[in-house]
Amino acid sequence: MKLRLEGIGHAFLGRPVFERLDLTLDVGEVVALLGPSGCGKTTVLQIAVGLIDPLQGRVHRAYRRHAMVFQEPRLLPWMTARDNIAYGLRAVGVTRAQGEAAAVRRAEEVGLHPRDLDKYPIELSGGMRQRAAVARALAVDPDVMFFDEPFTAVDVGLKRVLQDLVIETAARERFSALFVTHDLAEAVRIAHRLVVLSGDALGLVTSRSIEGQPGARSDRDVFELVERWSRDPAFRELFDGERERAA
Amino acid sequence: MPALRGLAALTGWLGRYAWSAWAGVAGLFCLAAAWQAGHEFYGSFILPSPLETLAALSALIREPSFAIAARETAERSLIGFALAVTIGTGAGALAGYSFAAMRLMRPIVTVILGVPPIAWVVLALIWFGSSGGSAIMTVVVAAMPISFAGGLEGVATRDRALDAMARSFGASIWLRFRTVTVPHLISYLFPAWTTTAGTAWKVTVMAELLSNSGGIGGELATARALFDVPLVMALIVAVVTFALATEYVLLQPLRDRLERWREAGLPWGVKR
Repeated sequence: MKLRLEGIGHAFLGRPVFERLDLTLDVGEVVALLGPSGCGKTTVLQIAVGLIDPLQGRVHRAYRRHAMVFQEPRLLPWMTARDNIAYGLRAVGVTRAQGEAAAVRRAEEVGLHPRDLDKYPIELSGGMRQRAAVARALAVDPDVMFFDEPFTAVDVGLKRVLQDLVIETAARERFSALFVTHDLAEAVRIAHRLVVLSGDALGLVTSRSIEGQPGARSDRDVFELVERWSRDPAFRELFDGERERAA
Repeated sequence: MPALRGLAALTGWLGRYAWSAWAGVAGLFCLAAAWQAGHEFYGSFILPSPLETLAALSALIREPSFAIAARETAERSLIGFALAVTIGTGAGALAGYSFAAMRLMRPIVTVILGVPPIAWVVLALIWFGSSGGSAIMTVVVAAMPISFAGGLEGVATRDRALDAMARSFGASIWLRFRTVTVPHLISYLFPAWTTTAGTAWKVTVMAELLSNSGGIGGELATARALFDVPLVMALIVAVVTFALATEYVLLQPLRDRLERWREAGLPWGVKR
């Protein structure tokens, strides 16, 4: 057990977002957190990271370091890609030289060219920026990773590449991850387990294990599981919410 | 090897910076042309020509008394500038962090801003007498609100998303202040500081003239008493030159150094 959320609840201006929510993250486990738009997925994540304090319940952390990848890259515009990737290490007091070495190594892993390391974020493409954000999170050697819909803004091809990158590094470095997404197919591709947050402040609606290891599932398996689950009543809210928003 | 590359980069920057001065010089010459036209219309007594003024200026520079006066004025406006910037920026940044402090300080600043500098000169004259202190005080009070507003806006509009990112990595308050808030703050402070610097020169000369406490303002008072119009113009040109030098020799290069990242995003052709 790396992380346990115990009976947490939160409200904005008196309106409850969710209540009595329990969630655990085991060693090396990747959990995808799904839910309709506006149900508080990001709030759960922010509570887990410690960016906001829950109104009820407790967060138990049994790890050394965590890192987060946001929906937007959130790179510091006044730092080069190299310094941005080393930023998390700087925050924990690693020396400059070691930070730079780690930055170079991680940049290579996520597919950033060494030439791009001296560029400022404004000179990089959107995909490059998100790669740098992933590298920044990986650079701190986290035990737990938090992802907040990180690949929604990148194109389909790159999305797949970045998903594979997450699957591969999670398997290799054995970090646990909580991956917030609204895309069922993405969740089925990368996670061991999937939990759905209710849109009516009821907490978690369901928790399902996904067969096989992430990365070992074929596209056909993923497609068929998504097909089957989209007809499942437990997931209905997910698609209702989408329709409601479109209407 | 890195030292050599650094030197090359510095030379390149100096070259570009000096080259960009041409546009500024062209603008100044347009102004000089309008001045010459005014001179030809009104005659030498009302408005001496640019050339006459330059002649008066070169005579002025050779006088030892001018160097003393210029040093006095420079010292006063520099001290005033430093105090105004330190107090104003510090208080403004604090107010940006605390909404309570902001609500308290904003009306105070509005009041200070509403009092004309000339009124401060009178007050300072009573408090400090005919010394440099009254000029410095007037500069501080007149120039501080601009720095205050810059510091306040800069901190209040800092990017909270970036701050949350830094917090998620466990960055300390000090690191977050240095890496997230300060670079953003600087883009607000430079316009405020250049205005403060300009105000500092102007107000020093005004305070000196009114409080009869020497400096360029004192020289200006003497020239006025003697109806020496070319000398008045020469003194004005001297003060403007000092103000321009403060901005383009002191502040702009500093800004270029600190805001290199901003230039990186500009398309070709917009860069200087």
